[in-house]
Amino acid sequence: MIDRDALLGAIARLTAAMEREAPALNEIDGALGDGDLGITMTRGMQAVASGAAEMPADLGQALLRCAQAFTKTSGSSYGTLFATGLMSAAKALKGRESLDASEVSGLIAGARDAMQQRGKAEIGGKTVLDSLDAMAKATVGLSDPAEVARAARNAAQEAMEAFREKPATVGRARIFADKSRTMLDPGMLAMTRIVEAVTGEA
Amino acid sequence: MKKILNAPADYVDEMLDGLVAAHPEFYRLHGDSHRVIARATTGRTGKVGIVTGGGSGHLPVFTGYVGPGLLDACAIGDVFASPSAEQMADAIRAADMGAGVLRLYGNYGGDVMNFDMAGDLVEFDDIRCTTVQLADDVASAPPGEREKRRGVAGMVYAFKIAGAAAEAGLDLDGVTRVAQKAADACRSVGAALSPCTVPQAGRPTFEIGEDEMEMGMGIHGEPGVWRDKLRPADAIAEEMMDRLLADIPVGRGDRVSVLVNSLGATPPEELYILYRVVKARLEEAGASIVMPLVGRYATSMEMAGVSFTLIKLDEELEGFLRAPCDCAFWRVG
Repeated sequence: MIDRDALLGAIARLTAAMEREAPALNEIDGALGDGDLGITMTRGMQAVASGAAEMPADLGQALLRCAQAFTKTSGSSYGTLFATGLMSAAKALKGRESLDASEVSGLIAGARDAMQQRGKAEIGGKTVLDSLDAMAKATVGLSDPAEVARAARNAAQEAMEAFREKPATVGRARIFADKSRTMLDPGMLAMTRIVEAVTGEA
Repeated sequence: MKKILNAPADYVDEMLDGLVAAHPEFYRLHGDSHRVIARATTGRTGKVGIVTGGGSGHLPVFTGYVGPGLLDACAIGDVFASPSAEQMADAIRAADMGAGVLRLYGNYGGDVMNFDMAGDLVEFDDIRCTTVQLADDVASAPPGEREKRRGVAGMVYAFKIAGAAAEAGLDLDGVTRVAQKAADACRSVGAALSPCTVPQAGRPTFEIGEDEMEMGMGIHGEPGVWRDKLRPADAIAEEMMDRLLADIPVGRGDRVSVLVNSLGATPPEELYILYRVVKARLEEAGASIVMPLVGRYATSMEMAGVSFTLIKLDEELEGFLRAPCDCAFWRVG
């Protein structure tokens, strides 16, 4: 069962992971984009963490606050997309103080759809949407928390590697489509690190 | 990097402090983010608000065009980076005078996403928002994919015309219709000779040979249509006019305005050399030129280069173009 305490634990782990991974994320993003992915995620998570003590028990309200921390601290596309995904989960969980692991797949799929609508990228375009798509599909029908965590983590890692050889199709990276072949997508790498940290396996 | 600055991280905040200090009759900082500029004197109640936003590094775009007859508020990001959705939402709130707000800005992925998100955020404030995006750069996508084009100096005309429509008392749907018509009537093309340096990156946005130019390059260094040896002014102007007129036919009796714009480092002298050809080509087509603009209206800091923007006017657009406006960078009437 996932409740406020579980959320606070995930926030602490994710904040630490983003601080640790920031230089690597900035570097890989800098090869194709503007090189601020690590800064975006670190600033956003630090803002989330600074409000953790006052986080409400209502998971919808809590996730809405997490989303707002990102919309306040960042104008970068990834930060806005991440906030959009959090907002989608926040809406789905409004008024709830806990959820079962079996609901995670649906929440990831909802975030994927909301982020797709906002970012206008296609599934299969080598973006964070492909990570979420793989995670949502890999966790369908699972209810054991450890199994859900493992499936999501593996799916994110495998999707990232599976898309390595494909050219980028959206954003500034599209301009460097040829160069982007053989490179991991920065957004997919960030999502892999996020799910590793959230599931406690960073 | 050879730039006049203090800490690169303070570049935008210090620029805005100076802008407001120099022109308090036009601009004030709104809210606590330090990244929203609003008119010094709020417009009258019941006027449609017009808000824009985008990265720094383009003055007078975007912030400079806040003023009577122009914009009501603007959210400003770091150099060449989108402002946050929260800052855009704050700008929308600052622009709202009870009649709704038009979001009028350039077609860039980050800005589009954040303005959409900002719209979700202000839904709770009961502010009705509409959107018009500039996609005037003909070099950035073929005519069949106009929705993919980037927004460049055509923004200046859209700000002016939409601003006048709002000042004239049109309602939100009316202002939005006029702004869309202006955006659809604009075509731009640029050519770059040298890059600029984003302070926080510390290196030029692209590399180009001392004797080279790039036709169609974007204002952030996005790749253009060709790169070759620098050509004479008249040849550059002819090709840029060819590209514009191929995209928006201009014929006998048409009324147009044209903006010959420096991307920053190119001096007015060179713009006037180019303008000779611009005028000749439009007159040759049988068009009359209304209120030509020559100067620095939309820049990329110290980038050397030029852009042309052509707008085909009808009676309504021409009326709003000629209406009075005032800001620190541009006054009409």
